[in-house]
Amino acid sequence: MGNMKIKAKEKDGVVKAKVKAKHEMLTYNAAKKKGKEANFITHMMGKVNDKIVFEVSSSQFLSKDPLFKFQFKGKAGDKLVMTWVDLKGNTKTEDKKIK
Amino acid sequence: MMNRRKFLGLGLAAVALAPTAVSAIDFRKTKPDTWTADDVESGIEALYGAKPTASDKITLKAPKVASNGGAIPVTIRTDIEAKSVAIFQDANPESAVAVFTVPEGGIVDYSVKIKMKASGKVTVIVEDKAGKLHSAEQEIEVALGGCEG
Repeated sequence: MGNMKIKAKEKDGVVKAKVKAKHEMLTYNAAKKKGKEANFITHMMGKVNDKIVFEVSSSQFLSKDPLFKFQFKGKAGDKLVMTWVDLKGNTKTEDKKIK
Repeated sequence: MMNRRKFLGLGLAAVALAPTAVSAIDFRKTKPDTWTADDVESGIEALYGAKPTASDKITLKAPKVASNGGAIPVTIRTDIEAKSVAIFQDANPESAVAVFTVPEGGIVDYSVKIKMKASGKVTVIVEDKAGKLHSAEQEIEVALGGCEG
């Protein structure tokens, strides 16, 4: 827990979702300066009832702790399951009930 | 059973990210050149193999002046029935920022915060169902670069 903040709210059959992933999103340049290895989220996915409702492949140029807002057709009570994978292969999954 | 699995697996082999990801597409794996392209044109070329036409059906919202290049909000909306939506910019060492896969019947209304190390242009590509590319772009003046973090 605490790796992602998920908000999802349904209105008239459309769910508005906000997802904030906690990730440093260290670019190659910034990592070099800090003497660390670059690492950033490379793929993120949102599913409801095992159906993909959101998907993005991303580069190092998303902001730190990237925030995504998106919409999809869905209903309250279902669970939105978000998963991300980063460059080093770490992965996190968190879910939230749609309000 | 194994055969069927294998058969299904073949079709998805290039795109399967995790066993649970039934139809996931990781463009970093399927189109690796997109992410190393250093200008917008070659990034688009690597991703789609085609050139876009400017479209007024895409709403691209971004600040004209961004005080902090580390988190520039970009919003993309369109009624075009899209297959994918991609964000590029020309200020960073590489041009690709993100590629959204739009699910069947999906709504294109994405907001995301991006990093730009200097002033530049954000280009958004919407790929429609027929594979045609539509683009919109906006200049952003960055007061404080975001890549040096």
